[in-house]
Order: sequence, then structure tokens, then C-alpha cells
Amino acid sequence: MSNTKVKQRRAALKVSKISKTLNVSSVLFPANQSITKSSSTLLSRRSFCSTEDAKLLDKSSVQTPKHTLRDEKGQDVTPQPLYQGDPAVSQPKQGKLFPTHDTSWGTTTDFLSVAFQTNASFGGPFSRSFFGSISASRTSQSTAESVNNETEDVSKHDLSNSSSDVQGCKEEVMEQVGEVLMDTVVDCYLTETETMWLLDIPAVSVSSDSENAEAVKERNKAYIELCKNRQGNDKYVERSMQTFNDAEKTKEVQSETVTMVDKAVMSTLWDMYDSFCSGSGEVEEDIAIPLEQHKAVVPDVSSVSLQTHPKDSSNIVSMISIGSDLSSIELEVSVPLGKEEPDPELILQSDKFKHDLAVMERVVLENIFQPKLAAYRQLPVLEDPDYVWTKMEVEEESWTEQPLGPFLEHQWAFSCDLTMGRNVSSMAWNKRNLDLLAVGYGQFDFKDQNSGLVCCWSLKNPTWPQRIFHCDSGVTALDFSSNNASQLAVGMYDGSISIYNVQSTEEGAIIDRSDSANTHMGPVWQLRWIDHEKGRSSEDKEETLISVSADGRISKWFLHKGMKRTDLMKLRRTKDRSETSTKANTPKNRCEVLISRLASGPCFDFHPKDSNVYLAGTEEGEIHKCSYSYSEQFLDTYQAHKGSVYKITWSPFNPDVFLSCSSDWSIQLWKQDLCTPVLSLTSGQKALYDVVWSPHCATVFGAVSDSRVEIWDLKVSILDPIIVSMSSPGVNPSTLLFTPETDCVLVGDSEGQVSVYKLKNFTAGDSTQADALEDIIQFTLASHL
Amino acid sequence: MAEVEETLKRIQSQKGVQGIIIVNAEGIPIKSTLDNSSTVQYAGHIQQLLMKARSFVRDIDPQNDLTFLRIRSKKNEIMIAPDNDYFLIVIQNPSD
Repeated sequence: MSNTKVKQRRAALKVSKISKTLNVSSVLFPANQSITKSSSTLLSRRSFCSTEDAKLLDKSSVQTPKHTLRDEKGQDVTPQPLYQGDPAVSQPKQGKLFPTHDTSWGTTTDFLSVAFQTNASFGGPFSRSFFGSISASRTSQSTAESVNNETEDVSKHDLSNSSSDVQGCKEEVMEQVGEVLMDTVVDCYLTETETMWLLDIPAVSVSSDSENAEAVKERNKAYIELCKNRQGNDKYVERSMQTFNDAEKTKEVQSETVTMVDKAVMSTLWDMYDSFCSGSGEVEEDIAIPLEQHKAVVPDVSSVSLQTHPKDSSNIVSMISIGSDLSSIELEVSVPLGKEEPDPELILQSDKFKHDLAVMERVVLENIFQPKLAAYRQLPVLEDPDYVWTKMEVEEESWTEQPLGPFLEHQWAFSCDLTMGRNVSSMAWNKRNLDLLAVGYGQFDFKDQNSGLVCCWSLKNPTWPQRIFHCDSGVTALDFSSNNASQLAVGMYDGSISIYNVQSTEEGAIIDRSDSANTHMGPVWQLRWIDHEKGRSSEDKEETLISVSADGRISKWFLHKGMKRTDLMKLRRTKDRSETSTKANTPKNRCEVLISRLASGPCFDFHPKDSNVYLAGTEEGEIHKCSYSYSEQFLDTYQAHKGSVYKITWSPFNPDVFLSCSSDWSIQLWKQDLCTPVLSLTSGQKALYDVVWSPHCATVFGAVSDSRVEIWDLKVSILDPIIVSMSSPGVNPSTLLFTPETDCVLVGDSEGQVSVYKLKNFTAGDSTQADALEDIIQFTLASHL
Repeated sequence: MAEVEETLKRIQSQKGVQGIIIVNAEGIPIKSTLDNSSTVQYAGHIQQLLMKARSFVRDIDPQNDLTFLRIRSKKNEIMIAPDNDYFLIVIQNPSD
């Protein structure tokens, strides 16, 4: 190696140069002795390398060194710069040199790091020379002296390096090294790096006794032969290839930013159903459109839909439902985009809204009235679990004594502002909807006549009627038709009859007034819809409206292009049979020429089983039994009352028994065949306006008089009513109605209130009802004799 | 229109009714008897709840639809009548 030759013995050479402090390197050096040592050695090596690679390194630029080096003899031995730093060229050099080195570069790595740390620009020729020197001087043995000399050379060489700063720094380094370490003995340590295994296949030994031993031996033999045959065998060819490493080239591509959009679809069962129902053929197109949109905004989606299907609102709806699922839930709210946003006014006026309001009202009221309604319907009353009982209420509860006997418990009252002050004249349940109650308001007396009112109340709303019909004159009679459950016939004080349809909310009647020529002359006291067999066959059942009025005529009305009527019967006054006639009667009977030959008829009732027969009560106190088909004469006359008969009613359980109440303070129980009443019941000294059989119990009926409501039970007592309920002073109950399904009683009074009472502690027997009544009658009759 | 006003007044005057709110389809209250902040709160929350409830009802049977929703709480009861264009909310405390 030329290194050894290069080793020159030089006397101490003076280094005349400016020393510059090198902070960086000086810091490093004391820190690591080995590094410094190595660096010094390497530096020396570098000098060798420099000479070796002279040919390579020799390039044009020659830099005038700032410092000159002269030997003892004063000769200028300043080493010339070998090469101007050119990183581009240096790199391949580096690459070439480096791989030739072997491992065990313990010191090398340290050195490298130091070199690069001290100065990056040391790179070029410096590093190259380093590498070169490493290879060169690996085997050389450096003595102290040579080191010294070499370092001197090195320092000189350093001086002549390319960049001035670098030079300066390097000079510093070299200077330091040169001055400090020239006399020191440097120990070099060469260590071996750890072994790096690249492939390790451990040999597997097999015992010669094992099963596979033979096979293994065979294989081994075969392998050995193979190895022998390998040399010169045509089967094995060695070949090497060199691949070209093309120059790398960088290429850049720029693309538009990829927009990311969040998209979500909520697929629910009902959504699919909606889409399916809205339009089977066009649904696919609709779905395709939003998918192409790639936008989760409802307006865009539906605007597209508008373009494609401008007229089809249902499609828009389906689109919206699809679109709304694409968007977030908040956007789903802004659904109706195809049409205008519904005006708040429009909403408020829409029918649906009214309906909802009505439902809501009922719900609210149900909350309030729940216990009462439950009691009415004979359901267990739910107690509000959150209701806090105040102390006072608890005390009240303990104080109120429950009456021992049966009594009427007030539940609620149907009343509102409209009905305040009006007299309840009649009430009727709807035949089909048993929660619907029609109440007619009108005065009975001649005086105090004002316009009448018909209200249809529902049990679900006791504070406001469902329907309100205003009438010209006071309403005196009402009845619901059973064929057409929504038809309500109303009879009025001025004798006219109107028919209303309660289904519609309109105020007008279907048929407003009966033909003026045919109207009753006096107030219509009672109206009934009767199912009457027309002709022989029982299939032809037609319903006719029968009315009785103060002009003494019982009329049948046909509803055919207006109302036409025929008279069923004229209630003629019969001659007074008894000798002892009261003074009130005689004047009328004396002279044949009367104002009217007809007696006013406040009531009538058709036989429940036989619609041919009916009873009619008169103001004279007579009850006539008449036949439907025969209008000339009465079948029979029952005479017992001394005052006008206000109400007659057949018993729903016993077909032969009927009750009548009159202004002579009495209730008479009649049997059809007997001309005299079976029982005469009185209590109190007031005229009785209404008597009604209970639909549940054969022996029970209710009566209404001037200031009290009486409930009679003939089983218990035939002398006194079992319940007597006094009404508040000034308020007179005027009508009574039993509820068809439950054990409640409705009482209408002169203040316009319809109160609902529940019969409490009522022991009503379930035994054969008709028989019970029959027994009583028989018993009574027997006692008469 | 007058009928609607009357009915609203009647409901408002019933025992225990604390407030009535009518909200349009967008969730904006169009009529309310409560103060503004409560109204907005109710409207916002109930809308989400309604959507959930309707989705639930229809999921189980697509031919079904939600007609009424009642929420009973300790202090009061909230009754909601929903529709496509609006929903009607009534808050009542029946034990008052």
C-alpha cells in the first residue's frame, strides 16, 4: 500500500496560521477520548487517501491557501487543494468506497458521526478521503510519531480545503488536535461487531434406530452424490445477471380535491312500505335520482323531483320521504317543499285540526271527569297515584257518613252557558250511540216563551254540547229515530215539527217545518218514532213519526217531500160518565158547542209488543186505548185520574202493565184489562210531571214532581218511594230518564241542567222480573177484594 | 275560525290545563298560551319524540299510524295530537 510510502518523516513543521476557535469540535473532543483518538488517526489516514486518490480528486479549482506551511528549510510545502468540493460528484464515490469495507467498524461509525456533526460540508472530499484512508490504513500500525507527523500533514491539508468557513473550522479542529494530541500516545481499539445471522437452519439428527433412519440415510447419500456430480454437470448452470438501475425520476401529479360527503340512509319498514304504496312503477326512478345527487340536502333532492314529476304530488311525498331519510333528522321536518308551507291560518282552519281539537278536549275532560265517568260506566274508579291528599280532604272523607239506605249520588251535570236558565223539557237517548243524549229546552207554560234550543250532549264532554240547534220556539218534545240513528225529530211549542240530522254540524234541519196547513194547532207534547208493520208481512217495517199535541190530535207523519200527515185519532171528549163531575169539567161539557171538541193530549205510548195498540192520555184525566188502524173510536177508556195525565208508560217487562202520572199528585198502576187501576201511589202533594220505568228492574220506576225526584220500588214498598231526593230550592226537576245500560238516572231541571245521578246502595233483584211485578199485582188485587 | 277559537278557549279554561301549543310542521310554534322559552322547549323536544314514536309505530306495522300520544309524568300530563302539517300539545295537571 502506498500508505507506507507516503509516510514521511518530517521534522516539526511550523504551522503558521491563524487559529480559530472551534467550539463545536472542542466540545466533542474532550467528551470522548476514543473518538478524538480515532478522529486523529483517521485524519492521518485521510492524508494517505488524499495522495492515493489524487488522480480522482484532482479538479480544477485551486484555492489560495490562507496559510502557508514551510519546513525547516523554508520550503513551501503547503499542500495544494486537491479538489474543490462538489457534492454531486462525491456521492457516487462515497457509494463505491463504502461497500468495500468490511464490518467491525466500531470506530468508523463513531468517527462518521463526529465528522458530520462538526461540519456538514466536510462531506465532499473530506469524507471520501476518510473512507479511502480507512481502507488504506486498516492494517497500518500507527505509531505516535507518525501520528504526530500525519496530524501535521492533516492539518495542513485541512487548511487547503474548499470553503473558507469550513476551512476555518477544520483548521481549528486540526489545530487543536495537532497541538494537544501530538505527543500523546493513542490507543486504538478495534472491536468486532456482533454476529448477525442471516440464515440459520439447524441440523436435525435422527437416531439410527428410528423408523425414518433408513430414509434419512438414503437422502443423505443421495445428497452427497448430488454434490459430487455438481461440478461440471450440465444440470447446473451458474449465471449471474446485472440489472440496470435506472435513474430515478420524480414526477408529481396534482388532482382536484376529492370531496367527501356524508351520506346516510335510514331504511325502515314503514319507509319501504310508503314508497311501495305511493307509486309502484315510478319509485325506482325516484330512488335513482337522489343517489346520483350525492347530496344530503332535502331541497335539492325534492327540487329534482319537482322537475321530473311536477304534477304528481304523491311522488313528491315519496321523494321527500326518501330524501328525508338521506338527510339528518332535523331536515326531515321541512318536508312539504313541493307545496307551499301551510299557512298557520290554514292549519287552524282545517277540518283535521278541528277534529283534533275536539278529541283533545275530550281527552282533557276525561282526565278531569275520569272518576265520575268510571262510576257511571260501572268501572272501578282509578285513583290518581300522584294525587296528594290534603289534610282537609282526608278529614272530610272520614266525616261524611254514608246513608244506610239507597240514595242518589250526584255525578255531574250537563250544563253550559247556553243552557243556563232554560227549562229542560225533554230528553232522549240516541238509539245507536248510547253515549249521545239529546236535550230539548223549552218552557212548558204559556208565559215565558222564548226561542228553544236542542243540544246533543256526549258523555265524553259534559261541558259543551256536541251539537247545538237553535229553534224558533220552545222545544217540547224530542225523539231519535231508530232506523236512521242520526235523525232527530223535534216538536215545538208552536206546533211545528222539525227533523234534524245530528251527523252534520250545520245548524239547519233537514226538514224545517211541517207544512203550515198541517201543523198542529197547539204545542206538540210528545213525539215518537214507531216501527210499524205495513201490510200483513212483518218484513215491511216502516218507521213513522207519531205526534200528539194540545189540539187533541194524534197524527202520523210521512216524510216524503216535506211532511204530510194523517190523523190517527182525534181525542174527542167523552161525555162525563160520572155524575159527580168537578166544576172545572162541567162548563165544558154542558154545551155541545165547544171551543174544541178535542181534548188536549199531553202524552201517549205505543204498546211495546203490539204496535197496533196505543194509549193516549188526556187533559181530562182519561186514558184511552186506541187502535192504530181504527181511528173512529177508542177501544177502551181508563178513568181514574182527576187531573190531566202527564205521562203514560208501558212496563218494559210486563206487557199488560202500564203506569200513568198526573197532576192529581198520584201515580196509577194499571193492568190492561182492568178498568180500575191496580195501585195508586202517592207521596207528596205536588203534581207529578214524569214517570219512567227502570229498564233494569221490573218493579222500579222513577217519578219527578215539583221539587223532588222519587224512585219507587214496588217490591220494597208500595206506599213510599225508596229514594226521595230533594232538589235545591227554586230548581224544579222536570224530566227524568234512566240510562239504558247502567244504573244511573238523568234529571233535567228548570235551570237548564241535566244532572246525572248514580243509584247507590240499590238492591235490585235479579230474579224473574216480570213475575215479581205480577206477584205484586196479584197480591194487591187479592187484597182489594 | 271562531269555532276554533272558542274551542281553544274552552280547553284552556278546563280544570288543570296549563297550556296549549300549536306547532307547525317545521317545528315553529304558531300559537301558544305559555311563555316563549317554555314553548320553544316543548316544541323542540316533542318534535323529536313524535318522530321516534311515529317511526316505532309504523315500523311494527306499516299500515298503522300514530294518532295520539300521551305522556303522564309526576307533575302533569302532556297530550299530543300529531298530524302531517302540525301538532297540537296540551299540558294538563288534572289533580289541580
